[in-house]
This record gives sequence, structure tokens and C-alpha cells, in this order.
Amino acid sequence: MRGRAILLVPSGLLIGVVLVLPLVMLLVISLMQRNPNGGIVWGSFTADAYISFLWERGFSGERELNWDYVAIFLRSLGLAGSATVTSFVIALPTALWMAFQPPKRRLLLVFLVTLPFWTNLLVRNYAWMLLLRVDGLFEQILHATGLLTGRLGILYTPTATAIGLTYSFLPFMLLPIYLSIEKIDRRLLEAAFDLGADRWRVLTRVILPLSMPGIAGGVVLVFIPGIGAFISPELLGGGKTMMVGNLIQAQFGYSRNWPLGAALAFVLLALVLAATYLHRVRFRSAP
Amino acid sequence: MGVGDGDGGAAPGALSCRNLRKTFGGTVRALDDVSIDIAAGEFFTLLGPSGCGKTTLLRAIAGFEAQDSGSIHLGGQPLDGLPPPQRPVNTVFQSYAVFPHMTVAENVAFALEMQRKPRGMIAARVEEMLALVRLQGLGGRKPSQLSGGQQQRVALARALAAAPKLLLLDEPLSALDLKLRNEMRLELKRLQGETGITFVFVTHDQHEALTMSDRIAVMREGKVLQVGTPTEIYERPSLRFVADFIGEANLIAATRVAPGRFRLAGGEELAATEDAGPEGPVTLVLRPERARLAAPDDTEGQALTGTVDQVVYDGADTTYHLALAGGAGLRLRAPSHGGRAQARVGDGVRVRVEPAALRAVPD
Ligand SMILES: Nc1ncnc2c1ncn2[C@@H]1O[C@H](COP(=O)(O)OP(=O)(O)OP(=O)(O)O)[C@@H](O)[C@H]1O
Ligand SMILES: [Mg+2]
Repeated sequence: MRGRAILLVPSGLLIGVVLVLPLVMLLVISLMQRNPNGGIVWGSFTADAYISFLWERGFSGERELNWDYVAIFLRSLGLAGSATVTSFVIALPTALWMAFQPPKRRLLLVFLVTLPFWTNLLVRNYAWMLLLRVDGLFEQILHATGLLTGRLGILYTPTATAIGLTYSFLPFMLLPIYLSIEKIDRRLLEAAFDLGADRWRVLTRVILPLSMPGIAGGVVLVFIPGIGAFISPELLGGGKTMMVGNLIQAQFGYSRNWPLGAALAFVLLALVLAATYLHRVRFRSAP
Repeated sequence: MGVGDGDGGAAPGALSCRNLRKTFGGTVRALDDVSIDIAAGEFFTLLGPSGCGKTTLLRAIAGFEAQDSGSIHLGGQPLDGLPPPQRPVNTVFQSYAVFPHMTVAENVAFALEMQRKPRGMIAARVEEMLALVRLQGLGGRKPSQLSGGQQQRVALARALAAAPKLLLLDEPLSALDLKLRNEMRLELKRLQGETGITFVFVTHDQHEALTMSDRIAVMREGKVLQVGTPTEIYERPSLRFVADFIGEANLIAATRVAPGRFRLAGGEELAATEDAGPEGPVTLVLRPERARLAAPDDTEGQALTGTVDQVVYDGADTTYHLALAGGAGLRLRAPSHGGRAQARVGDGVRVRVEPAALRAVPD
């Protein structure tokens, strides 16, 4: 037993150093007073950062409710949610189509799906700016085909942010769904046909239930990073539709409010853990 | 057993396959001019070595594979061009293919739900089916909580629930262990009797085929070689391959010198009743249990002589491996009768071969 326990030391160290230690630091920071010049005032414990999430001090020093941060959280949830739904709607038929290609072509398609990862996310979001901007490619195409006469006017709106998020996270929805569909025993589909099911009911009664683990995985992989995303809202939302990620980034950057940044990060973490827990409860029996 | 003729007046469960051909990749002839007529309510077995086209034939009947040419009629109605869901045919797959995300009851209810039958009717039918395959009370379980044999029963109940006219079974027992397989054989026979549904059963186990079938079709390389009752196939094989594939057989090279008269390589002459065919080289089929060692004082009847090479006792029977005077080998099997061997290794023996026990097949 002792000998085996020793084998766990490296992974324990790794988890301790890369996961627990930063979290503890973040927690400590969130409970300190801010130093207006950046950083924190050591040894000054206070819950100010958490309180200021909901309440701000008015001119006369009394606390007033402030819904700004809550609004940003809700917007983040909304945008991440719509990106999740949109990417699911795109990913499901694509994954279905991919999974029923000949094996060789399937490999090629998976490779193509992962192709965007070879370039930086920032660069790819800039590319979307070029596509969506005034007189950008999309506008030109719409003008040329006569579908649009005025301005597209999407760039620097929440819609652009949602498009950017969907684009960025689509592979994380597509791949798990594809993998779980591909894994389904084809004989089950034949059995369903044999028993009188048409294509639609083979899809809804056999394929979808059996790819639930992949769908759930895709939802988690898109929704959770989506909440904290900051590149797409910054570039495509034009910084006007701030998301939690931008807010946190700002606290550690120009706002110089580390405790608030850390506290916001913890609130986000709590949300994510709650979502993960619910997901666990729902799909406990999934393999 | 009456045989459907594929015409309009055929019984609902009668299957008729006419000149089916199917080629894969331009070269593999999976079905090579297959014509079979199966009567309604018959337990019909397709038997043949691996790759002979049994599964391909079933898939063509079920609609998963379109034949290149030929036609399939069920109850006088053509099935050609109908997709699988529209054929009144269900399949029990070798791998069970039970839906893992549904309970046993949901699996059995599937076909009825696809037909949008009323809920109450479905529930009653599911109960009836579970009772039929002896799985009462297990309707709420998931397939992963069942043994292999139980899963196979679920697959059976599921395929029978919608009362198909024809049930196709592709080696349904091959994944089970021996004891369970024997049990399920009886079970299948019973189910077929109780439901009256036509069964087309695929196996490459000749013992299974002989014990279960009303009739057997022996296949090789996409062709049907012989169709007949188990007795016909075993006692009167029409080809050397059939004789060799079904049961054990001594295959003796010989020359037909006159109708019913044969000369072996060593010069011995044998007679066979029931014989027809041109003179020339043939193979004589002699089942090991149809030859017997002559008693020392027995000098009558048609016989061959040889010496005992080996004696193999396997409980009920003892098999004697002989070297005939002409050099050929011969196996003969006799009941063990309490373990006292009728001859020992090295003994010279006389082997009685009744003319009725010999059958000549073309080479
Ligand atoms: N989809 C396919 N593509 C190419 N060749 C095939 C295909 N299906 C079957 N074959 C070939 O057709 C022939 C008959 O196959 P089939 O599966 O019908 O044999 P079988 O009698 O069922 O054999 P087994 O006892 O091994 O199941 C084989 O040579 C097989 O390789
Ligand atoms: Mg097969």
C-alpha cells in the first residue's frame, strides 16, 4: 500500500501546484483590500470585493444596490447560451453527416474540423471583423446579390459576439457529438429499420439517445468556456457588450482592482461548478 | 410439407426466392442464382460454410441489400424495392442488437410503437411476449443487467412482437455457450410452433440444422446445392460436398462399372441399391454408423476386409479406424455397449456394408 501511495505523489504535486495553489492565491487576493496603484494591501482582510459585486458606495458613503455586474453575468450566460444552442444546431447535422461517411473520409473531415486550431484564436476573431465590418465581405456579397441595400450593421453588437463565440467553440460541440454518433453500433440502426422505424424515428429514438453523452459533453465544453470568453466580446462586440471575461480582465488590468477581479472569478467558478454538478446529476448513468 | 409456388394464391407466410444474384465489388458472387421456396409455417434452415452467402440472402429478404437480379415474393406479394421498415419481416441478429438505452419492455414495444398501436394494446402484447420468451417480471431491466441468453430472448420477443409473417434468424445462438445454446434450440422450436410464423434460420452448425429444421438448404459459394428434410440431406446427399459437410462420412473413391456396381481402388467390388448415373469415377458415401464389424463366424453379405488402426472410445459410441485391404481408410462407429471393444488395434476384421447403406455421388 505504501509503495503505491508514493506513485501518487507526482500527480498530487502537479494538481497542487497548477490547480490548488493558484486557486488559493486567488481566494486570498479576493479577500484583501485593493491597492489603488495595483496589487493588494497584504494583511488587510475584508469582504469588500464580494460586497461590491452587488452594492456600491454612494457619494455619502452609504451602500446602494448595483445591478451592473449582475447584468454582465446575465449577458454572459445569455451569449454563452445562444452560442451553445447555435453551435448544437449546426453541429448535430454535421456530425451525423460525418459519421456516415466512409471511414477514410471521416478521418479527413475530423482533421478539417480541427484545422482552425492551427491558428491563433485572436487572429481568427480579427478575420471575423474583416468579414462583418462595414463594406466587409458579407456586406459586399449581400449587396451584390441584392439581398441587402443598406448596412449590415452587425459588427460591434452582441450578435457579432454570439457569432464569434459560436465560431470559436463549434469544434468543441462537433467533435464529442461526432465521436458518440460514430461509436453507435450500426446494427442497432438496422434493427430499428427492421422493426419498422423510418429515418426520423431512427434518429430520435436510437441515434439521439445514444449520443446523449457526446451532446452533454459538447454543451459543457461550449457553454462553460463561453461564459468566460473575452476575445470575441472584446473584438467583435467592440468592448461595448462586456462579458464576465472582459470584466475580470479589466480588474487585473486598467481598473487595478485585483480583489474584485479575483472575487468575480470565484463567483464565475461557483456558477460553473453548480452547472457541472447539475450535469453530473442528470447524466450520472451515462457511460 | 407443402411448398409455396410464389403465385398469387400463396399462404401469407410463404416465401419464394427466384434466381437471386448478388455480386460484391464485381467479383465476389455472394448469391449465384439462388431459388428457394419456403412454405408458410416452416422452420427452414440455411446451412453452409462461412462466406457462402447466408447472411447476404437474409439481408436481401429483409431489404438491407438489393439483389442485382431475381425476385423475392412473400405470400405471393413481391417485396422487391420495399425498404426494410415496410416489409412484414423481422430479423433476430447474431449480435442481438438489443437497444441498450431502452428497458426490456421498451425494446419489445418498439415495433408496435412504430406501428402507432394504442398504448393499452402495446402493454398487453409486451406482457404476452415476455411470457412467451420466459422473461416475465424483467420488463423494467436494462439489457446491460441481463445475461447473454436473456438478451437473446429480448431480441426474439422484440422481433416477434409485431407478429411478422416471416422471422429471419442469423446465427442467433452462436454467441451463447453450449448449455445455453441447447436450451435455446428447444426454446426456438417451441416458439416457432406456438406462433406458427415462418422461420428462416441461418447456421453453420450442421448438428443444429439437423435437429431443428423442417427443411435445410445447403449452400456453398453463393449457390444452393441441395434442399431437403434433415433425413434426406443426411441419408441421401446429392453431392460429395453435402455428404462431407453434414455429419461424418467415409468418402470412398470408386468407379461405377455398371448401374449399382462399383469397383474400389484396391479392386474390391461393392453394390449399392438406389443408384443411377453414368459409368465412371464417383465417390461412395458411407456413414460410419452404417458399417459394422462382422462377427467372427459371419461370412454373409457384402463386406470389406481390413485391419484396425485405432480405437477411440467416446462414451456412448466407439469409433474404429480401419485400413482397408486396398489401402483406403474407413471409420466405423458402433455403440460402446458397456465399454467392451469389439476389436483391438492390429486385429484383422471383416466389415459388413449393406448395399442400402452406400450412396454414390458425383465427384
Ligand atoms: N458488404 C459487402 N461488401 C463486400 N463483400 C461482401 C459484403 N457482404 C458480404 N460480402 C461477401 O459476400 C460473401 C458472402 O458473405 P455472407 O456474409 O453472406 O456469408 P455468410 O454465409 O453469412 O458467412 P458467415 O457464416 O461467415 O456469416 C463473402 O465472400 C463476403 O466476403
Ligand atoms: Mg453470416
